[in-house]
Amino acid sequence: MFRGRAFGLLKSLHLMGSQPNLPHKLIHPALTSHVHHCQKRRNVDYRQSYNTGPTSAGGRTLNVPQNKVMAEQELPAVLILDIGGTQGVLENLVVLLKKHFRLVTMKEFLKNKKEMSKKIQSVFVFECRPTIDRELLESLPNLKVIANSGVGVDHLDLKMISSFGVKVTNTPQAVADSTADMGMALMLASARRLVEDTEHFAVDWLGVEVTRATLGIIGMGSIGYKVAQRAKAFEMKILYHNRNRRKMEEEQAVGAHYCEKMDDLLQQSDFVLLVVSLSPETRKLIGKRELGLMKPTATLINISRGAVIDQDALVEALQKKIIRAAALDVTYPEPLPRDHPLLKLNNIIITPHIGTATVQAIRMMAEEAITNMLAVLNGQPIPSEVVPK
Amino acid sequence: MWYHKPVIDEELLRSLPNLKIVSSSGVGIDHLDLKLLSRFGVKVSNTPFAVSTDTADFGMALMLASARRLVEGYQMAVSPDTEYFPGNWLGVKVSGATLGIVGMGTIGYKVAQRAKAFEMKILYHNRNQRNKEEESAVGAVYCKKIDDLLQQSDFVMLAVNLTPQTHKLIGKRELELMKPTATLVNISRGLVVDQDALMEALQNKVIRAAALDVTYPEPLPRDHPLLKMKNVIITPHIGSATEDTRRIMMQDMAESIEAALAGLPVPNEVV
Repeated sequence: MFRGRAFGLLKSLHLMGSQPNLPHKLIHPALTSHVHHCQKRRNVDYRQSYNTGPTSAGGRTLNVPQNKVMAEQELPAVLILDIGGTQGVLENLVVLLKKHFRLVTMKEFLKNKKEMSKKIQSVFVFECRPTIDRELLESLPNLKVIANSGVGVDHLDLKMISSFGVKVTNTPQAVADSTADMGMALMLASARRLVEDTEHFAVDWLGVEVTRATLGIIGMGSIGYKVAQRAKAFEMKILYHNRNRRKMEEEQAVGAHYCEKMDDLLQQSDFVLLVVSLSPETRKLIGKRELGLMKPTATLINISRGAVIDQDALVEALQKKIIRAAALDVTYPEPLPRDHPLLKLNNIIITPHIGTATVQAIRMMAEEAITNMLAVLNGQPIPSEVVPK
Repeated sequence: MWYHKPVIDEELLRSLPNLKIVSSSGVGIDHLDLKLLSRFGVKVSNTPFAVSTDTADFGMALMLASARRLVEGYQMAVSPDTEYFPGNWLGVKVSGATLGIVGMGTIGYKVAQRAKAFEMKILYHNRNQRNKEEESAVGAVYCKKIDDLLQQSDFVMLAVNLTPQTHKLIGKRELELMKPTATLVNISRGLVVDQDALMEALQNKVIRAAALDVTYPEPLPRDHPLLKMKNVIITPHIGSATEDTRRIMMQDMAESIEAALAGLPVPNEVV
């Protein structure tokens, strides 16, 4: 079973606390390179809308509105792939869902199609499952919303789903802290050579400093900004490159300097952190030329999508010590084939796409999805809807 | 001396009648018999400030790596046997969690400054309470009793120096006071922890995990049970192992030696 972790992507809107009636903003689509259940790569442009009205999620604790006590049969029905096991929704999340919904597994649905098809109003997509295709949509005439756990929705055909009048929601807030933490974890682990094996305690087992080094953040959305907040405490000099420049107050709060040209950021940074969404513009954003611009003492960290980096160029750069090291939570594909050259290098850390893999983040993603689903079903402002452009 | 070598004993001191100073790298001086050296009229210096930032960084690195199971994840990502990345493979959060710092000296305080940016709730235990401005600058709450800190913390970070009072500071009783979901991080000295008690606690899941830059001895014997545990990260005492810091340490040591030989006040002298 393949684990698809979609997480925070470039946002031109930064959510801090609750702000009423935020305007719609354009963000790029997230194209994922997941194999197995996240097979299809989509080039659909979409628009993310945030609505942080009184019923929506703000801040870290999400207030999931409590329904009146209803008999299980009367609760709206949500389709999921499975409960537990290697492919299903985690059991502690099932408990959360059951407070508001009647859960129907795919198995139950297929056994009882006639009776169930009219009842299902929502689908909860967990780790890119179940697959949403035309056949499924045609068999769910009363479907109102597909709620995705995670922020990337590139495994969903937004145009097709929209043509059925079904809404799509994601979970941008739940992923931000844990992914920013992962970025910091990878940067520190790589700089200080935490992961490497050694037989002796060599006196010359030296790493590079993080405190007071220069961090270049490419993609200053919610996650990028949270990384900047953390890096500031390490007295790092922070440069950033983004489609749009952030407000002066936001820049000053973290001491970040805007680099309109990415080249300037690459040439000055000791650590380059990729936190963009994957789009036609960011595919292979970091290639041979960009790696050549980086310092030979620099480290590349990727917590966005594998395809943002030209992987072959990265192999060459690491082999020839054009850059010092790399730390990747994401690759293309995931997992890499076992004979891939990246796996043989000793100046690389690879982690299995665990940017949101904490007990707490997984729970928050489910809560955010539940809030979204309830908002759609109750005709209220939807906290995080994704709309094809 | 570098990495506690050469060993300074009475025999060596007797054979060096003109010895003026022993300049030790790093901040810990638990490997030196200060009374003995004083008897021979030999000064001692260390390098407390050079190491503090890197060690604080490393404490954060270990905490994050353990919480997010980074080493295990790396091993899975590169293992020749891996066919897919399993679901239900989770770590624990750092942002918003509670960090208990045992030993709030220079290093402990720098850890607090960093942890604050992760919106961690910070508790600390120290021989002396820090002043109010220092506490509020990092949002740290003083725990006069170490037990209170142990019971409330998701991460317990040891940043004390090794003294008779801190020897086996963390034993079976202290480990049992910790949450079963808690992580112990040690950037001080191996002997601050009762290693056998730690092994037992980890085996019985009394605590979730441990991350140790220091052990006793260093390195551990290759058949030591701690080396086999999946929920333990051990690093080879590299808290201050960066090129820049090592250079500064050397400069500090050279300065101390030069001053001692010139009969001038010795910077970083240990009395």
